[in-house]
Amino acid sequence: MTGFFDIIENIIKALVFPGLLFATIGGLILAGFDRKVIARMQRRVGPPILQPTYDFFKLAGKETIVPHAANKPVYLAAPFVGYVSLIVMMTLIPIGGYSAFSGKADLIVILYLLTIPAVALIVGGSASGSPYAGIGVSREMVTMMAYELPLIIVFLAVARLVGGSSLEFSLQYINAWQVANGPVISHLAMIPAALAMLLVIPAEVGTQPFDVAEAETEICEGPLVEYSGLPLGMFKLNTAVKMFVMTSLFSALFLGGIYNGIHTGVTLWGIHFLDIIIRAIIHFAISLVVTLICMTTVHAVTARLKIEHLFKFYWTVVTGLALISLILVWIGL
Amino acid sequence: MNYTHFPVLSVMGLFLGGFLVEIFGSKNKTVRNIIVMLFTTVSACLMLYLTIPVFGRGEVISYWMGNWEPVGGHAIGIGYEIDGLNMFFVILVVLTYWLSAVYSIKYMEKDRHLGHYYTLFLMLAGSVLGLVCTGDIFNLYVMVEIMTFAAVALTAFRNKKGSNLEAAFKYLVIGSVGSGFTLTGITLLYMQFHTLNMAQLASLVSGNMTPVSVLALSFMFIGFGVKSFIVPFHTPAADAYMSAPTSISMVFSGMVNKAGVYGMIRLLYMVFRVIDKSAIQIVVVVFGAVTMFIGVTMALAQHDFKRLLAFHSISQIGYVITAIGLCSLMGMTSGLFHAMNHTLFKGLLFLCAGAVLYATGTTDLDKLGGLSKKMPKTTICFLIGAFSISGLPPFNGFASKWMIYQAVYEKAVVTGNFFYTFVTVTAVVVSVMTLASFIKVTQAVFFGQAPKNLANTKEVPFSMRLPMWIMSALCLFGGVFYRLIGRYLLIPAGQAAFNITNYIDAMLGESTAVSASVTNVSMDLADGFSYWNPIVWLVIFITVLIAVCLVLIMGSGSRGKVLESGKDAAEDGKYSTFFSGEKSEYSHVAGSDLFWGFKHNWRKYFGIMQSVHSGNINDYSLMTVICSALIVIVFTVIFI
Amino acid sequence: MIFNYITSVILIVLGLYTVCAKRNLIKIVLGLGITDYGINLLIVSIGYNNGGTAPIYAADLFNIGGTAAFVDPIPQALTLTSIVIGACVDAMALSLVIMINKRYKSIDANEIRRLKG
Repeated sequence: MTGFFDIIENIIKALVFPGLLFATIGGLILAGFDRKVIARMQRRVGPPILQPTYDFFKLAGKETIVPHAANKPVYLAAPFVGYVSLIVMMTLIPIGGYSAFSGKADLIVILYLLTIPAVALIVGGSASGSPYAGIGVSREMVTMMAYELPLIIVFLAVARLVGGSSLEFSLQYINAWQVANGPVISHLAMIPAALAMLLVIPAEVGTQPFDVAEAETEICEGPLVEYSGLPLGMFKLNTAVKMFVMTSLFSALFLGGIYNGIHTGVTLWGIHFLDIIIRAIIHFAISLVVTLICMTTVHAVTARLKIEHLFKFYWTVVTGLALISLILVWIGL
Repeated sequence: MNYTHFPVLSVMGLFLGGFLVEIFGSKNKTVRNIIVMLFTTVSACLMLYLTIPVFGRGEVISYWMGNWEPVGGHAIGIGYEIDGLNMFFVILVVLTYWLSAVYSIKYMEKDRHLGHYYTLFLMLAGSVLGLVCTGDIFNLYVMVEIMTFAAVALTAFRNKKGSNLEAAFKYLVIGSVGSGFTLTGITLLYMQFHTLNMAQLASLVSGNMTPVSVLALSFMFIGFGVKSFIVPFHTPAADAYMSAPTSISMVFSGMVNKAGVYGMIRLLYMVFRVIDKSAIQIVVVVFGAVTMFIGVTMALAQHDFKRLLAFHSISQIGYVITAIGLCSLMGMTSGLFHAMNHTLFKGLLFLCAGAVLYATGTTDLDKLGGLSKKMPKTTICFLIGAFSISGLPPFNGFASKWMIYQAVYEKAVVTGNFFYTFVTVTAVVVSVMTLASFIKVTQAVFFGQAPKNLANTKEVPFSMRLPMWIMSALCLFGGVFYRLIGRYLLIPAGQAAFNITNYIDAMLGESTAVSASVTNVSMDLADGFSYWNPIVWLVIFITVLIAVCLVLIMGSGSRGKVLESGKDAAEDGKYSTFFSGEKSEYSHVAGSDLFWGFKHNWRKYFGIMQSVHSGNINDYSLMTVICSALIVIVFTVIFI
Repeated sequence: MIFNYITSVILIVLGLYTVCAKRNLIKIVLGLGITDYGINLLIVSIGYNNGGTAPIYAADLFNIGGTAAFVDPIPQALTLTSIVIGACVDAMALSLVIMINKRYKSIDANEIRRLKG
């Protein structure tokens, strides 16, 4: 019977926590907070926290129109592939110190899984056949090239700090190391890398000022220009979930060991239920703070960059920050 | 059954088939196809049978032509020897030429003089097969020359277009310079050791690097570098891959440059056994890293489908060279794995390019568009190939690239050398750029809107799609079950590359290696196949996908219909593309228009690169010769 | 002997120089040929044995005695192979030049550069 319970447990992990349900709800609430706080910063009342959720359900009830020039299967499948791979990523990231799947979730696997939603957006937009989407696709790809370089350097810096002379890339190991040695961010050498990561997150999610690919005012939301109905809703949902995934990744990489003291000892069927719930709430709170710092505030005070400036910014300033950390860690500071 | 005859029978069979097809098949189409398919299939089956003894039982097959066995430990005759490494490359070669032969039947049917085509094709196949089977270094040179000769002739096969001839001429000149260096290296080796057998050379040369040996090493390194088209010897590759018929471009990227890689591995790991010197490792890795970077940036600047693929071939070979330069088992297996995957996905992509050329008559990215509605099956194959080469999970390119990153970073950690970290970053960035340039092809060729003149395009026939489907399936299989491939194919092959003593003993008799005091290159035993299990990931993926679909089906009900345009929907404004309220008209974002933000920042670099790839054969030769001189100097400095 | 080696090196370098510096395609082909001859000369020279005889196993036949040194026969075989290959390559290169001349109306390397970038 244990085999059966294992399967049930794994399905619950994939579909409820930390998978489908948790990631979706968390993402939608994060997106709602983001909008609300921006509105408050701009002295507007702003929409209710649940507005992104309402939007999603509204879009899900609308007709989906497949344009004449589009390739139907790719056009319709793209948002779902992106969504599912985001959910899979969420199951691989330790939430509040708990990893759902004990197998090694390698950082480079994470890096590549992160590209899938972006590629889904690109391919879906490209499949719609619109020239606006063509421009958007081009910009999205350049944005991706821009942030991928600092991101890999940040990963290598963390891996070097944590692994020392061994080859340990996995998030589980990084988490265990942080439990023993304190959060990565408490090491001075890693602060530039954390800053670089904070700058990578908005570009990855595509919020202002790094939303050149979906610039509503110039190219009518780029890749999304032809989308309607449920697929459009899925893409909006992807953005929301991506916020949660990226901020979770940040806290897993840099703020791992701060859950040390939380042990209530309340168990149900051998699982520390209360612990998990408390940690998940703290985790969500951290995600919220990170979102406020790196996306909401920046969004509220900046205007959209041009694509060539974005590329230059990432390959010089952000890469430079990440590189400083890598070199400092490499020489043993 | 005495299977030791199989290698020579396969090689000779292909050459024999080449001449028979000229004699009997130059007029009659059916006879020609039967001869070609018969000889390629039989030789492929004979060679694949050898996987049972080589991988199954761990044997090393040695065969002396004319039964001229070694006398007193001195090899006299020409020997064929197949260990795990050879067998691995044999599998790549037979797979490539068999699929290419199937594809050629339909693809080439509109051409004239097909008897000549198949003669050269079978000669090319036979020579590459001979090259990876032989244990004799001069025989290897002869096979390299036949290979170059056949490859050049096939590049110029469609000689109606001047540029094809030009490409062939450039390939011939650079290729001949490379072969000349190889031959000089062989001569210098023979001069000192008076033998041409690779096993015996290995037992004599190892640990005995005289200045002449260093010169021989650098010359042969240059020679195989030219054959595997590493930068700066890559210039003819781009032209030749682009100009050759697509079935041949696939053969070029699938096995001709792999032959160079094979030669490189044998040279560095066995004959000279110098790879355990860290300076040599750095030199090889630098060549690999530069090759992958320049290859991919040049690919970003291209606007011809096949030329773009050609530059990607160069770039991917850079990955392979980087990995084999690391001198660890993980590096070797990941390099071999990537070589294999490159054969599969690049073959697939070339076949897609061929299908586009067959259907539309052009491969210019700026003149194509919107083909996904006309050729849906080709589009699916292309997307699989593009995702594989860009390293998206769960395709095979991801598995091998990821292992290469691991291997390079492991090297960085073990040696504490910051240089390897830099190479890791380069490899990742190159991978993203690869993705970018395939997004460009996807957007420019398959998606977007179709130009008026392509309205009557049709999907390609089944015999052309069959190899594409086989390769797509293998791409997916390799990505999901890579541990299986690793255990049964790559680790035996990788270990064979390090196991020199076994190779020598199998050829020259037991305990020859011990008496010649040859030791194996020391290696790290981590193989990198146990780090990540793609099946777990796939299971989670499918579970979540099913859940999402269920929710949608239950939740949607009658609302949220998917509306699709009918036949004459171009008239219906609801389904036409959005143009800010203007009247809908043909408008397509072509390949050259993409990635402006990137190109703008790199305009100086691209300017330099454009002027370096000037198209002038003198410049290319000069680059080759100067770099050769540099290699000689560097190797001399390292050893003396 | 040293004279042979020096000559072969000079020939090889001369050939490479021709390939790199001459704009005329036929001269480039000639340069390839010269390189080949240089290499052939090198191969033949390494097999030479001062005072050696033809490599025929004649000790019993003519009762010469076992002391006579042979010239190494293998390099000669290699040279023959190499010459044949070189001839094939030259023939193919020249036929390509003829075809190029038909299509481009020129055999100047500066004008044969449609494939670039």
